Amino acid sequence: MIELLVTVFSATFFVTVIRTTTPLLFATLGGLISDLSGALNVALEGMMLIAALTAVIVSVYAPWYVAVLSGVAAGAMLGALMALFHLRFKADIILVGFAVNILATGGTVFALAQATGGDKGTSINLQSKAVPAVNLSFLEAIPLIGPTLKALLSGHSILSWLGVFMVFAVWYFLFRTPYGLWLRGVGEYPAAPEAAGIPVGKVRAWSLVASGALAGIGGAQLAMFNYIGFTRDMTSGRGFIALGAVLLGARHPVGAMLAALLFGIFEGLAVVMPNLFNWIPGEIIQTIPFVVTVLALILFSYRAQRALKTRAQARA
Amino acid sequence: MSTTSPSRWKAVRREAGRALTAVVIALAVALIVILCTSADPGAAFRTLLTAPLSSNRTMGLWIDDVAKLTLTGLAFSLVFQARQFSMGVQGQVYMGGLFAALIAMSPIGTTPLAIPVAMLAAMCAGAVYGFIPGYAKARFGASEIVSSLMLNYIAILVVNYLIRAHLAPAGTGQLMTAKFPDTAIFPAIIPGTRFDLGIIIALVATFAVWFLLYRTSWGLKLRLVGHNPKFAEYAGIRSSFIMVSAMTVAGAFGGLLGSVFVQGRAFGNLAQSFDGNLAFEGILIAIVARSRPLAVPFVALAYGYLRQGAQLMGIRTDVPTEMISVVQAIIILLVASSFSLPGKKFFMGLLGKKPAPATPEAAK
Amino acid sequence: MAPLLEALSIGKTYPGGTVANDGANLSVSAGEVHAVVGENGAGKSTLMKILFGIEQPDRGEIRLDGKPVNFANPREAIDQGIGMVFQHFSLVPSFSVYENVVLGSEPRNGIRFDRNEAIARVRELSEKFRLAVDPLPPVGQLPVGQQQRVEILKALYRDAKILILDEPTAVLAPQEVEELFVAVRALVAQGRTVIFIAHKLPEVLEISDRITVMRGGKTVGSVNARDVTEDSLATMMVGREIALRVDRTKGRGDVACEVKALKLTAESGATIAQDLNLKVHAGEILGLVGVEGNGQAELLEAIAGLRPIADGVVYLNGTSLSPLSVLERREQGLASIPEDRIARGLATGATIAENLIATRLADKRFVRNGLLDLKAMKANALSLIERFSIRSGGPGYAVGTLSGGNMQKVVVARELSEQPKLLLVNQPTRGVDLGATQFIWKSLTDARDGGAAVLLSSADLSELLALSDRLVVFYRGKIVAAFVNSDDLTAETLGTYMLGLSSQDPETMRAALQ
Repeated sequence: MIELLVTVFSATFFVTVIRTTTPLLFATLGGLISDLSGALNVALEGMMLIAALTAVIVSVYAPWYVAVLSGVAAGAMLGALMALFHLRFKADIILVGFAVNILATGGTVFALAQATGGDKGTSINLQSKAVPAVNLSFLEAIPLIGPTLKALLSGHSILSWLGVFMVFAVWYFLFRTPYGLWLRGVGEYPAAPEAAGIPVGKVRAWSLVASGALAGIGGAQLAMFNYIGFTRDMTSGRGFIALGAVLLGARHPVGAMLAALLFGIFEGLAVVMPNLFNWIPGEIIQTIPFVVTVLALILFSYRAQRALKTRAQARA
Repeated sequence: MSTTSPSRWKAVRREAGRALTAVVIALAVALIVILCTSADPGAAFRTLLTAPLSSNRTMGLWIDDVAKLTLTGLAFSLVFQARQFSMGVQGQVYMGGLFAALIAMSPIGTTPLAIPVAMLAAMCAGAVYGFIPGYAKARFGASEIVSSLMLNYIAILVVNYLIRAHLAPAGTGQLMTAKFPDTAIFPAIIPGTRFDLGIIIALVATFAVWFLLYRTSWGLKLRLVGHNPKFAEYAGIRSSFIMVSAMTVAGAFGGLLGSVFVQGRAFGNLAQSFDGNLAFEGILIAIVARSRPLAVPFVALAYGYLRQGAQLMGIRTDVPTEMISVVQAIIILLVASSFSLPGKKFFMGLLGKKPAPATPEAAK
Repeated sequence: MAPLLEALSIGKTYPGGTVANDGANLSVSAGEVHAVVGENGAGKSTLMKILFGIEQPDRGEIRLDGKPVNFANPREAIDQGIGMVFQHFSLVPSFSVYENVVLGSEPRNGIRFDRNEAIARVRELSEKFRLAVDPLPPVGQLPVGQQQRVEILKALYRDAKILILDEPTAVLAPQEVEELFVAVRALVAQGRTVIFIAHKLPEVLEISDRITVMRGGKTVGSVNARDVTEDSLATMMVGREIALRVDRTKGRGDVACEVKALKLTAESGATIAQDLNLKVHAGEILGLVGVEGNGQAELLEAIAGLRPIADGVVYLNGTSLSPLSVLERREQGLASIPEDRIARGLATGATIAENLIATRLADKRFVRNGLLDLKAMKANALSLIERFSIRSGGPGYAVGTLSGGNMQKVVVARELSEQPKLLLVNQPTRGVDLGATQFIWKSLTDARDGGAAVLLSSADLSELLALSDRLVVFYRGKIVAAFVNSDDLTAETLGTYMLGLSSQDPETMRAALQ
């Protein structure tokens, strides 16, 4: 137990958590945007997976940032595809989302096989360039706290920093710009923005595109920083965990960040625990993020129900 | 549908037409993909379309898939009819498979009771696993989509662990259990093929689900809750009970599928990751069958053929089996969309033109 | 004076084949209050939707300032200075008043939404047009009358020169109507033009300068308000001199339903209604009067078993309903026609036969040992289709394939298929055409004559006055007055109690409550 505590309260663990949180954070923010616009995006998983593969393949030929951008583009295009089928052809958003997930699970293996030259792609792994880490060694020069600061802040993916900025950007967009007002209005009561002449369909469509783009950054981070390279099903449920984080995040970007961080911590635990507790089977450790998601979801839903009641009581 | 009406056959024809159109479009796209990627596209496409009929053995594989697809399609149909989006069939299959295996490997496994008891245990395990997300939703308001998906991952990991660490023969490093005793494995209907008890179970299950949905008051309540939960409440139907019970019963069918997997002649043991993602394909079956249980086996028959064709294509040619996921996704997208035969509106939409009389955006 | 807005021979047929407009004409001058009157289904709303760009006409022409215009969507109409306030408000409940007002045309400061500017603009508008409302609270917490002001402010914020108000008084109490009229006069005084849709004639005569009468999708004529009387207008509207006459009860029986010291609370614990005491006799209709949201609807829900009772008792023929489930209450002879019959009273995807027994799934005739008796269901459906003349393909057709009027009949048929002992009715004729109103009123009086105790809630005071034998008035969750219906009782009298402006002495109230 002591070892666990020592590990958890170390800078290395902090760095691990930031690493595991980053892909979740982007996917959660993406899910949040489409959820607020009134479309539950269950395709975050598939979007991340396809974006991860796209980024890795592009990184063979181009610099890392082009690779990340192409992952973002892939996610955005999937968002556009969902918008097309959901909004124009009136297909249920959940079914459309699962179609994207199915396409992603099989399609990435298929594409992987093509990319690696005809091998049937069951166990291969495609190498990739990496997203650079931000080196802040100069912090060490600060007296007293310098070394700790460096250990905590240096070495994160540049995308992790982008993630922190993105939480602020999404918040600013949602609550400080007119378009954020439109988006929230469309999600809550579409008849109102429609009567005000706001193109409701377009707002939803762009939300899905943005949702895909954000999930795409998450996928790129996963394949170009957390793991360097692509393996089949490498998202292994992170998109669905992000969906849980959306529901937990109280429809607010900061809430989304905290929820993503919670799941990131447990994923981080699942990373460090095998070294500490070799008597716990690996598979059981791997279930931790999923178990935590279910429990957190139940707990938070229950609390949300109760909070609704007490808040209304206080008003009365 | 509970009372015969002349419009019924028209609706069946219309739905079948839509599904066929979707399949044709999906296959056309598949052909294009194969043309772009295969060294011998002709052989690949021919294999995809004809291979399942090439031998008794492959036909057995096809029918075996049909049985399994029917069961997962039924499980999804049940929850979809109640308008729940529980995605937990995969987890139920693993739990069902685990408990069927435990029975088969216990002393009961060598007795004539092995098959029925194992099936029953599997159904109970699946039912419990289906009950959890249902109860979490009814009691706490937790989204059944997320919780059921999480439970899938948990089930797979736990079963894989149990196999690796406890159930596989010690010291072999195998990732599967030993073969069950013969008494615990489904008898073959046509010897030497996989044409076994599974297909009979699937057909009985089809009838059972149909009967539950259209001949019992529970089924009527379930459908009313699915159609309009506000009306159900007004009519005095306890929708949370219906919701939980629908997910639980669907879970039992998911568990049953687990037993059909492990006790079928294809396996006859419990192996890691045994479902090959088939459980999830029930979504497609249920969507195409419009959650109508009687349509499920027919859809499974057609889709199972395609699936087996893809498997054989993956083995015999240079095109990977996973190509079929493109076909799956397109079929789901098209069937879930509201395009009408002959898809004029749909194609006009694709070309970016508005469908003839502009329908006002339906407020959600 | 040249007309500001004209509609010439407008024709509109809906995809279902309903002819909504067939040669409708309208000519509105600048600076007037122009009322458009007609029975439900006369085509008023469709014409307005065409003027606002929600629907496109099949034939005819619209001219604004003498120039032909064509609005593909509301945005284009808004840009041309036309604004519309619907009966059902389009407001986002969690947004504040000012956010709702500016939504879609927000003042900006760079990419930022300029909140202070928005608040200032809303304050300024609300003072200028005498539409008092605080810009800051979320609209979901405002009463209906204030929400309506927010809607009007929305149109004015977009600089509407012409304001279309679709039945604005339907949701208001008489005194709130007065406040609305003050605002309408302020609008006209400042050069705006108001088109006012209504079917309550006294109001129309009070507020409008000119009146256009519609009937059966056509314009019957346009008149100056001071040249007509209520009677002559009514004759133009209906085309013949009929009024829906209802025979009062021939004699009431014993007390069937008694509500004693009832208290209702929201899920949150907030009190919705308290100290409710009333008795309904077999064979009488008791009207529940009140501005919407004062507890009438909740009382009906509580009696039906859709809402928990916090305190007190409801008896039906001596049996306490509290411990009984919805189904058990129905077995005791309770029937209920909900307000939104299609959204709440039907499962449109299920068949007619299934819908007709959906509330009787414990009935041995249709369900035995958990199994459905399809033959009995079919026979039941056939006989009800016949008895209530529901036009359909047959019992096996989905309810969704029927026309709106026939769907309503399915609900009424199910609820009245057996003589109920207690019938709960909420807004029976909202959004229903004249023929269907007649049918529903007849069904209610038939049920009453068959011995049912009827509890009727309606926002339409004339409907309540026409049908009820006794009336009780709700204000803030309490019964504040009770009356035995008579020709002397007027909507205005009821109105003063509905707004809590007068109170009745306890003796009179007790007498009328018996």
